[in-house]
Amino acid sequence: MNQTVLVCDDAIFMRTMISDILSQAGFEVVGEAESGLQAVEKYRMLKPDLVTMDIVMPDMGGIEAVREICKNDPEAKILMCSAMGQQALVVEAIQAGAKDFVVKPFQPSRVLEAVQRVLA
Amino acid sequence: MDLSKYAALFLAESREHLNACNGSLVEWERAPASVEPVDRLFRAIHTIKGMAATMGYTGVAQLAHSAENLLDALRHGRVTATPSVFQLLFRAVDTLGGAVEGAAAGSEAEADGGLIAELDAAAIGPAPGAAEVPAGAEPRAVAPGPSEPRSRRASDAPRSRPVQVTIRPGAVMRGARAALVLRRAEGLGVVSGLRPPAAQLEGDEFDGRFFFRLQTKLPDGEIAVALGSVGEVEAVLVEEAAAEADGEGRGRQIRVDLRRLDALMKHVGELVVAKNRLTALSGEGGDPTLIELSERIARLVSAMQTEVLAARMTPVGEVFDRFPRLARDLSRDLGKRIRFDMEGEEIELDRSILDEIGEPLLHLIRNAADHGIEPPEQRISAGKSAEGRILLSATRERNTVALRVVDDGRGIDRERILAKARHEGAAGGDVDTLTDDLLVRVLARPGFSTAKSVSGVSGRGVGVDVAMTRVRALGGTLEVRSELGRGSTFLIRVPLTLAIVRALLAEAGGERYAVPLAYVAETVEFDRRAVTSIRDREALVVRDQVIPTVHLRDLVSATSEAKSGRQPTVILEVGERRTALVVDALLGQQDIVVEPFDAPRGMPPFVGGATILADGKPALILDAAALL
Repeated sequence: MNQTVLVCDDAIFMRTMISDILSQAGFEVVGEAESGLQAVEKYRMLKPDLVTMDIVMPDMGGIEAVREICKNDPEAKILMCSAMGQQALVVEAIQAGAKDFVVKPFQPSRVLEAVQRVLA
Repeated sequence: MDLSKYAALFLAESREHLNACNGSLVEWERAPASVEPVDRLFRAIHTIKGMAATMGYTGVAQLAHSAENLLDALRHGRVTATPSVFQLLFRAVDTLGGAVEGAAAGSEAEADGGLIAELDAAAIGPAPGAAEVPAGAEPRAVAPGPSEPRSRRASDAPRSRPVQVTIRPGAVMRGARAALVLRRAEGLGVVSGLRPPAAQLEGDEFDGRFFFRLQTKLPDGEIAVALGSVGEVEAVLVEEAAAEADGEGRGRQIRVDLRRLDALMKHVGELVVAKNRLTALSGEGGDPTLIELSERIARLVSAMQTEVLAARMTPVGEVFDRFPRLARDLSRDLGKRIRFDMEGEEIELDRSILDEIGEPLLHLIRNAADHGIEPPEQRISAGKSAEGRILLSATRERNTVALRVVDDGRGIDRERILAKARHEGAAGGDVDTLTDDLLVRVLARPGFSTAKSVSGVSGRGVGVDVAMTRVRALGGTLEVRSELGRGSTFLIRVPLTLAIVRALLAEAGGERYAVPLAYVAETVEFDRRAVTSIRDREALVVRDQVIPTVHLRDLVSATSEAKSGRQPTVILEVGERRTALVVDALLGQQDIVVEPFDAPRGMPPFVGGATILADGKPALILDAAALL
């Protein structure tokens, strides 16, 4: 069975791109969320193997969402998607429980490497 | 082989180790369960033993050997660390210190047989009943018996070891990578002693390498694998490999005589002045080849300056090391309970400043222990914990280093100081409250003391004034914040380096002056319309902030007619205090070499030194603190 992914980003463009990269590599994108709140709800419903999480989103940001998700499931495997210059936020997300991060603009190979590390 | 030429090196290194020993002992005494201080202590004593034996100082070597045996017994849990054992170890370190000095001076004394016997007896344990153990007691008679096998065997106890991690060069957000590594490490055990500090890592202000200690039961190999599996990690070194690559020794080290570095620094200083002149001249001439060459020389000189300055930078921990022992002895002598903590030992300062900063800190710590911290019973009745706290910290703030001595003691009684200051004529009758600024000035008056009696620790009135004089001589400042009943903070701020500073050049009354950039917050324009006044002083409003002004032209009593209209103004900032210095013109920035300066008679107090500018003409350096 393919491993399942929940893709969280407020930009459709980014969600599409990440979904494409992951689907082509054999993952099954089981859900998308466009806010932190949605991410938390969908995680609870879908129990995906992996979450990709944007940092800046409306209705609860990515970091808060990581905190919420990890509160219920400390083993949650969350990969942060960050833009350049957000290092302080990435560090905060890691301290909240995120397992790794990738920096935009994405190179598919980098994203997949990070995903492998998170799922290892 | 002639060993005498190594004596100086032996002495220097042994002193360093002994200082560290005192620090480790104090730390260990405070937390007898911790493993790290005793390991450090063991290694330091072991090193001294080796060096002394090589030098042929048998007395030192014997004493070190006995101390080492006891430490080894403690380290492996064969002997328990009791107060009398600590007392014995402190005595051993002191005696060892004396023996080292004596031996290096060529007059080695006989080893202290009594002390050695005590150490040996203690090493066999159980812990001796302090002084009652007869020096000649037959150690073998004490049964190693049932106390020997301890539940905590060294091999399966978590061990603390140094770890060095290198993030792949070119990786994005190396700081966040470091955070991932640290988080993984925290999952394996206890992480401590992170360098560079977290804030610096998060700001990406490091070269991809960082160090920490990890206390865990896992073998080295597993640590390396676990941390190496974090993305973008290039290398993980554990234990010896990390210790070797650790610290200043990112690479190999040699010891250099400080005088060599001083001489090198002086030459580079002169080179900077010459370079500045060359740049100015080649700019005037307009010959492109000459301009190119002078730019190249400028880059080379600047690179050289950076290297020399870096070579002189030394962590403040080297000076801090002696203070835990001092604080411990003070608390004992004064019958107070004092917890002494240090922060920021890794912050670096130019060696020449570091050498001068120890004494001011010593005075301030003594003052804090003697005047600040109350006796336990007084603290309890004031609703505080019986144990007082003194914190010595170093932080880097812009181009300066801030050193703070903070106590949670009784604070300074302003009423009493004011009364005494009035009595001594240090404060006029018009002064009815002492601000922090005024307070420090009163305290720093030579001979001013509030202690009712001289305690042997402090109270002779040479504390704050000595500290103030020393700090000012370094181009630094001393500030105080104090709250009655809550404690006091003394803040020393010194420049990172003395020799070459970046300065803003200003003109007033036809003369040029250099203002060290470390104290320049910004430059604005002085506009008559933005002028207001506070307490009869002219002040400038800059973005809703009212800043008192000083006209440099008036200060230097230039007689030429005052300029009208807008004038350039330099906002000076020392700590939270600001002054707007109004000048005739700003002439740009320049690296200036601070010349040692014995102020001639009649030199105004706001002049802190002199320098030679790019055109070969001298200029005076303004002391920002004196202008506030």
